[in-house]
Amino acid sequence: MLRRAAISCGVLLALLTAAPHVFGRTRPSYGGTLHVEIAGDPWQHGTGIARRMVMDGLTDFDAAGMLQSALAVNWKSDNNNHRWQFQLRPGVVFQDGTPLSAANVVAALNADCDGHCPWTAVRAVASSVVFTGEAAMPNLPALLASDEFLIALTVKPDGSTPGGNIGTGPFRLTGFTNGVLQLGANENCWRGRPFVDAVEIRVHRAVRDQWLDLSVGRADVVEIPPEMLRQALQQRLNVVAVQEAQLLELHADGTGALANPMLRGAIANAVDRAALADVIFQKQAEATASLLPENVSGYAFLFPTGRNMDEAHRIRGGLNAPPLLLSSDGGAAMQLAAQRIALNLKEAGFNVQTTAAASRHADLELHALPMESRNPADLLVLLIRASGEAAPQELSFASITGLYKTERDFLASHSVIPLLDLPRAYATGPRVRELKLGVDGAPDIAEASLEDAP
Amino acid sequence: MSLRQRLLLLFSLTVAASVAAVAWTVLVRMRTVFEERDQQETALFVSQFQREFQTRSSEVAAAVGRLAGSDRARSMAFEIAQSGDAAQYVTAAQTMAQDAQLDFLEIVGPDGNVVSSAQWPARFGYPEAAVKAAPQTAFLKQEELPDGSTVLGLFAVRPIGNSAPSVVLIGGERLDRAFLGELPIAPGMTVGLYTLAGTGSEPGQAANASASAHFNAQQLIGVNGNLAGADRYAKLIESALTSGEQSSGILYLTSRREDSANVTAIPLKNESGHVLAVLTVALSRAGLVEAQKTIRTTAYGVAAAGILLAIIFSLWIAARVSRPIERLAQAAEDVAEGNWETRVPEEGPGEVEVLAQSFNHMTEQLKSQSEKLVQTERVAAWRELARRLAHELKNPLFPLQITVENLQRARALSAEEFDEVFRESTQTLSTEIANLKTIIGRFSDFSKMPKPELEHVDASKIVKRVFSLYSGGKENGKIEFKLELSGEPMPLEIDCELMHRALSNLVLNAMDAMTDGGTLTLAARPTESGVELRVSDTGEGLTPEECERLFTPYYTTKQHGTGLGLAIVQSVVADHKGTIAVESHMGSGATFIITLPRANR
Repeated sequence: MLRRAAISCGVLLALLTAAPHVFGRTRPSYGGTLHVEIAGDPWQHGTGIARRMVMDGLTDFDAAGMLQSALAVNWKSDNNNHRWQFQLRPGVVFQDGTPLSAANVVAALNADCDGHCPWTAVRAVASSVVFTGEAAMPNLPALLASDEFLIALTVKPDGSTPGGNIGTGPFRLTGFTNGVLQLGANENCWRGRPFVDAVEIRVHRAVRDQWLDLSVGRADVVEIPPEMLRQALQQRLNVVAVQEAQLLELHADGTGALANPMLRGAIANAVDRAALADVIFQKQAEATASLLPENVSGYAFLFPTGRNMDEAHRIRGGLNAPPLLLSSDGGAAMQLAAQRIALNLKEAGFNVQTTAAASRHADLELHALPMESRNPADLLVLLIRASGEAAPQELSFASITGLYKTERDFLASHSVIPLLDLPRAYATGPRVRELKLGVDGAPDIAEASLEDAP
Repeated sequence: MSLRQRLLLLFSLTVAASVAAVAWTVLVRMRTVFEERDQQETALFVSQFQREFQTRSSEVAAAVGRLAGSDRARSMAFEIAQSGDAAQYVTAAQTMAQDAQLDFLEIVGPDGNVVSSAQWPARFGYPEAAVKAAPQTAFLKQEELPDGSTVLGLFAVRPIGNSAPSVVLIGGERLDRAFLGELPIAPGMTVGLYTLAGTGSEPGQAANASASAHFNAQQLIGVNGNLAGADRYAKLIESALTSGEQSSGILYLTSRREDSANVTAIPLKNESGHVLAVLTVALSRAGLVEAQKTIRTTAYGVAAAGILLAIIFSLWIAARVSRPIERLAQAAEDVAEGNWETRVPEEGPGEVEVLAQSFNHMTEQLKSQSEKLVQTERVAAWRELARRLAHELKNPLFPLQITVENLQRARALSAEEFDEVFRESTQTLSTEIANLKTIIGRFSDFSKMPKPELEHVDASKIVKRVFSLYSGGKENGKIEFKLELSGEPMPLEIDCELMHRALSNLVLNAMDAMTDGGTLTLAARPTESGVELRVSDTGEGLTPEECERLFTPYYTTKQHGTGLGLAIVQSVVADHKGTIAVESHMGSGATFIITLPRANR
């Protein structure tokens, strides 16, 4: 809590630093080009910054993480949540002028989930999209708000395939040259035109270089990885951050060398979350053993986060596990975290090798999953789906007790081992006004404006 | 084996043995020289290695010392000591190690736990045992890496600041291929470094050397990577690991002798005396093997030339020595065969010439003695002949004399009585004169033995002929005749009439020996080189003395024999280049054995 308070103070301090600019101008200005620099891929599922700038979903989460309408204006369920019908927003057009139609949405959704959809069938009915499923889909509207189901034009009216990503979002793709992704304002966006005329996103830029560019004015928005948030605050950068924006989880493949749940249980007890949070992520992360953060569910404290080597040895017993492969995505901190976990597991009798690249043959995978919602049930479903596991058959979201039971039962298999709640933060330059982050830490570039815009 | 062959063999062996002895001596001496040179080079390399090691140790200690004295390190140590929060320095060691060009660097907090590790960044928070009893000088230490491998490093420990407990830096350089590459390696020398696999129970802890004595070829590296034939080093390295002492030996890296090396394994120990690694110094024996090959080839060439010279020399010696001796040997054989006219040239070196002269003198003496003996025997024979003639003639002459005297006295008797006496006397005279004729005829026959007229005939035929002649006689009713013939061919070149007479003579003698009856056996069988004819009786037999004198002319055991029968038989057999012998024991009969040479066709 103290740490969170410190971060909040930092954010407040940063805001106060910019106060003259904020209070000096009451209305944001239109125009200008916003320069953003990132270390990763702008189209990366889950964390790609450009995806939500170009594309929208049928539904969306607002700044508080609650569900709101987007391309669908309303929706209803029948047959005990086995059938859902989403009525499309009228008058919406794609960035190339193609009108949004139910057929376009169905084609985009089928392309998004590529056979691993939560529904059995989706079809266009007039100006609405109808989902049917063999299992109940009580949280389908929340799922459709996730980054996974953004709507992009897949087939033009003349039957041709469009080049590049074309969506209905506030920005349209205009080019990609010399490692810079260029986006222009979508004048016909159903949400309204964004404040800036263009956004240039320099990709695969090292964080140190991003900060250097920020300091000399070559960048307006740069990333702050969780492990560098403390340093950024110490350097008095203008930081916007969201605590508990991502869940760091260790996913154990239950079909291979770790098919035995006792081995997975030993791993869950052997991991030293405190060392990860305090050292690698510089006390900017919160150790957790539950999927939902404490401030969302209120029961996260019931899942012990401490390391218990005695329990790990007891559970493992005489079981011998073959050499394991642990893969991690993300930057240096994620790789260091993977190495630390491997070291923890070595003490518990496991022989673990780490790899920086995601591997299909990995027995363990270290992921950072976005927490896009603040609705407990929606977030739980989103996290379970993002972790790659099948949702539990018996879902009980009616009460907090039922929710706890569902999560507890799910975690009992130790296929998904929650480790940390991670923040997500950006630093902005002095020109930037009103850059806000979603609950998952994604920047809302459309709402940002520039001080020196003409 | 002839003298010439013996001389050739002797000379060849002498030359070959001499060459072999010289070659062996040279090879042994050369190997000793090479081994001494290898030992000197190894000792020199070890000395240079120790100097390089000391230099590296000083450099590492200095580098770590400079880092510990830097403002950055002092500031960090102060911050850690003041706030107790070391988390912000979790990646500091990597940057500092990079700046100081160290392969290993760990920042260890006052509590003895790792604050930051350059070689294993995830090892923060774990205790670092090496700092507790670290010496002032650099020391060897095995460092475990995140991938599970273990590397050997030269480490130094330096505290930051003077107060205790303090933050400590432990940094080092890797002893690897690059380190080996900087050593002064002489041509033909191969240097390797064997490091033990980590077996520490805690991550990053030093390996327990004694528990890792089992050889693993992957852990032996050379300047250019893994050493060729690394498996062959196993015994030496394991010996050095277990004993902690330097061990040496010759290793054959491949099946080729040129790929062998004199290898010395030098254990590298840490401060507590545990062996952490083994430095191998291999000096190629290619030069030695090449030189040995050259010497062997030369020795073979010299030996071959020597043997050739020995052949030539032996031929020359043969011409000078062995040939006269061979001539002497041949002449001796001729003399042995009765050719007493044989002479050898009186030439040759020294004793050989004297020997030839002596041989010729000997043969002359032999011839002279032989002629004297012949003359003596001839006189003796004439005397014996005269004695026998006198004896044979005396017997009929005495009745003749008595008869003539009776006739002279009968003239005084009446005519009728005179006629009676005259008739009896003339009858007696006729009888005795006939006896004289018979005696003279026998002597005439003995002196007129005809020359054999040889013809090809099987021995069985001549034996069967004699058997059929005598076996059917009525006067031989008490004697049983047996014929024993071999089924194999027994070809002979003989005069059938003479041989028939000889066999008949033996059969008649046998019949005379069995007056009371018995068994007479005629047999013929082939031998290795001829044909054997046997005439056996079951009479009283002969005494050894009789056997010896049996074939002497005019010797007889019969009351009215002339003693010429068996002499004639022996003469016939000798004329056919055969031999005759007798086997007899008293009371068990006698067997006469004629052995004749087998006909060629």
